[in-house]
Amino acid sequence: MAYVLRRLGFYLLAAWASLTLNFVIPRLAPGDPASAMFARFEGRVQPEAMVALRAAFGFTEAPWYVQYATYLKHLLRGDLGLSYAYYPARVSEVIGTGLLWTLGLAGCAVVISFTVGSMLGVLAAWNRGGWLDATVAPALAFLGAFPYFWLAMLALYLFGFGLGWFPLRHAYSHDLEPALSFTFAADVARHAFLPAASIVGATLGGWMLSMRNTMVATLGTDTLRLAHAKGLPPRQVMLRYAARNALLPNVTGFGMALGFVLSGSLLTEIVFSYPGTGYLLILAVRNQDYPLMQGLFLTITFAVLAANFAVDLLCLWLDPRTRAHG
Amino acid sequence: MGDLLRRLLRQRKAAVGGSILLGFIVLALVGPWLVMDPTDLVGRPHQPPSSAHWFGTTGQGQDVLAQTVVGARETLAIGFAVGALVTLMGALIGVTSGYLGRRVDDVLTLTTNVFLVIPGLPLAIVLGAYLPSGPFRMVVVLSLAGWAWNARVFRAEAMALRNRDFVSAAFVAGESRARIVVRELLPNMASLLGSSFIGNTLYAVGAQVGLEFLGLGDVGAVTWGTNLYWAGNDAALLTRSWWVFVPTGVCIALVGFSLTLLSSAIDEVTNPALKAPPVATTAVRSTQSSSADAAPPSGALLSLRDVCIEYATERGPSRVVDSVSFDIAPGEVFGLAGESGSGKSTLGYALLRLLPPAASIPQGRILLDGTDVTALDETALRAYRWSQVSMVFQSAMSALNPVLTLGDQFHDTLAAHGRTTRAAAHARARELLTMVGLAPQLVDAWPHQLSGGMRQRVGIALALALEPKLVVMDEPTTALDVVVQKELLQRVLELKQRLGFAVLFITHDLPLLLALSNRVGILQGGKLVEVDTAERLRTDARHPYTRLLLSSFPHLSAADAQVPADVALAASERTTAPATAQGGGR
Repeated sequence: MAYVLRRLGFYLLAAWASLTLNFVIPRLAPGDPASAMFARFEGRVQPEAMVALRAAFGFTEAPWYVQYATYLKHLLRGDLGLSYAYYPARVSEVIGTGLLWTLGLAGCAVVISFTVGSMLGVLAAWNRGGWLDATVAPALAFLGAFPYFWLAMLALYLFGFGLGWFPLRHAYSHDLEPALSFTFAADVARHAFLPAASIVGATLGGWMLSMRNTMVATLGTDTLRLAHAKGLPPRQVMLRYAARNALLPNVTGFGMALGFVLSGSLLTEIVFSYPGTGYLLILAVRNQDYPLMQGLFLTITFAVLAANFAVDLLCLWLDPRTRAHG
Repeated sequence: MGDLLRRLLRQRKAAVGGSILLGFIVLALVGPWLVMDPTDLVGRPHQPPSSAHWFGTTGQGQDVLAQTVVGARETLAIGFAVGALVTLMGALIGVTSGYLGRRVDDVLTLTTNVFLVIPGLPLAIVLGAYLPSGPFRMVVVLSLAGWAWNARVFRAEAMALRNRDFVSAAFVAGESRARIVVRELLPNMASLLGSSFIGNTLYAVGAQVGLEFLGLGDVGAVTWGTNLYWAGNDAALLTRSWWVFVPTGVCIALVGFSLTLLSSAIDEVTNPALKAPPVATTAVRSTQSSSADAAPPSGALLSLRDVCIEYATERGPSRVVDSVSFDIAPGEVFGLAGESGSGKSTLGYALLRLLPPAASIPQGRILLDGTDVTALDETALRAYRWSQVSMVFQSAMSALNPVLTLGDQFHDTLAAHGRTTRAAAHARARELLTMVGLAPQLVDAWPHQLSGGMRQRVGIALALALEPKLVVMDEPTTALDVVVQKELLQRVLELKQRLGFAVLFITHDLPLLLALSNRVGILQGGKLVEVDTAERLRTDARHPYTRLLLSSFPHLSAADAQVPADVALAASERTTAPATAQGGGR
């Protein structure tokens, strides 16, 4: 329990640090990007809305700590300001739906990739020097050397434009109304297949290699020697004794890599015009929509922090030793 | 460092990775003079590859080959610059934190961990959006977003090095802290600096390409990232112009792959465990010598006949056990002594066929109750292990599976050798734990909740779970303190009386062995130089090596007055053991 609270405290601190970074970066930048940012709203926004907008970001004449307090107050209310690109929509509304799509796509892809990659790693280490270890591992490593979004472009080119097997863009067909029906779910799955497959393709090799390496180390331990000595069936030794122990450091590594993988999947979304946060991010960059950009930074960071916390809880469940030290 | 480079050069992975990378560096240096101006509009847009434009033209009518070649220069330059900068930042922060410790460490570690969980791309985008455009911006943004991982790695390394002698020596010699960090610590991290630099360059190239693809680079410059940005913008996919984005992507992947190969080669050189060990070729077993054909004396439980064990090494086979023959009677305690490297543990493992893949038994027979253990197939071997011969490891403390409760580990063992329910297995586990003097409730405990001595008792309980005829004990008490050791051995001898199993006791502790065993074998350099009863060895050992071993324990000459009385007492009772053994074993 103490462990959980300590981790929670750490993530709250990390959340505060990212909030503060978000506050500090625009103020430290050379020139006056803040004014430039608000200048973009001139003429489109009522003067009173302009004041509210400045307040939301804390850009007022007040001293920095008052600005900081106002900024935090607005954030606590979930007020991230107005989007320039989607004016007059609020940033929080714009991000809301996008975040769902991103979590759905990247979440599924990452979990599939980690599960399949780890299983391949277990098999490669168990049959060391076999075809899986000697052929598939290097091939996947080469695939992993391509940028995620480039693999996405290639997949879209081959299977979307070339063969016409998959839809070219968006998360679902325009003639369908979002509903909890089988047709809609099937349509969403068809649209998500290529983006998810390219994320899986780009990351599979990494998970496989790291699982293989920890597994190789685990295979040399006395725990494994005892398991063999006891005459246990090979499958049980491989899964319950070797893989189960090799998994622990990899789950921790999984948490560490989440932010990195998410970054890659954001770029993949752009290629498929998938309406997630990645697609919003490029819109924000192209339109110099600073409120949206900063809102996205915070939202994505918080999502990654939450995912990391979930991974910590998973470790707790997997490893009795963590439970004890807590 | 020089040694590291030399070993790297001999590696295939390093050679392939290094050549690819070198090729791209040369391309980046001289390539731009060999191709046309990449920004010139030289032809019609989206033209497929032709003799005039080998890689075709872009959506604006520029030469794709020229763009790909020229793009290498800035991409690699920024990649290496960021790689070096991130490594340096990480190393300085990590080493400072790890070396200074305490407050500084707390603060720096916390900062590092916070930056580790903040996702890099969104942070880089926010930073990039507010900084003035240019290659300098890219370097700053990527360094700020990517230093944390290195700081963590270097901190761990500095913590490990801090307590080493040469650092302490420098400190005692009065060198300043800064000087120690720069002169003593960093040079000793040369290989870590090298592999980090490679890893960071890999990160830098990937992240840079990603940011430029988003349009956060200098879209007027020619880099691999902007090439892809324009490919996306000019609808390369829609116009089916694969040649616009394929060459650049392949170049990025080749550079990335070469860096991955290099770092994996460094890993293998610095961490030899990752490299596949040589595997023993299943050598044709030489025809049994005449002595091996001799029938084992009737009544022997275990007979070793001319057993040889070889390890495959890069320089050919190396023999670690050479023509060893001995017998163990039912219920007997047979001691095997010898210094480390004499092959005694290898011999113990061989009885259960637990040798690593590099080892093989090219010659000899191991007979247990008349069955040749060396000839068992997979299934028969699994059934034989633990039910006939079990083992207590020196490292029983680390041999238990940390993620399973003790009860589940007993259950696994019992279930592998016959049908049993979980409840029945747990009941048997409680019984066994009580037998070795542990509380039966521990059946629900995890290994980490037990002390070293308790875990060793669990190891013994586990070894007795299937009532085997022989228990191999490989230095079972070496890691324990003397009091715990004595208690444990007494318990083992009591259980042996009761259950009648035989023991092969392996240790370098000759006095202990003489007090404990009926007969003792002395192993030197893989050869069994002497086998005799404990009493006779004590007084008139024949082999000079045995006498040397005995004389190195001075108190033994005084008619082993120092032998723990109760252990000796228990040992003297063992003469009756073989009789009970027949009934107790099954």
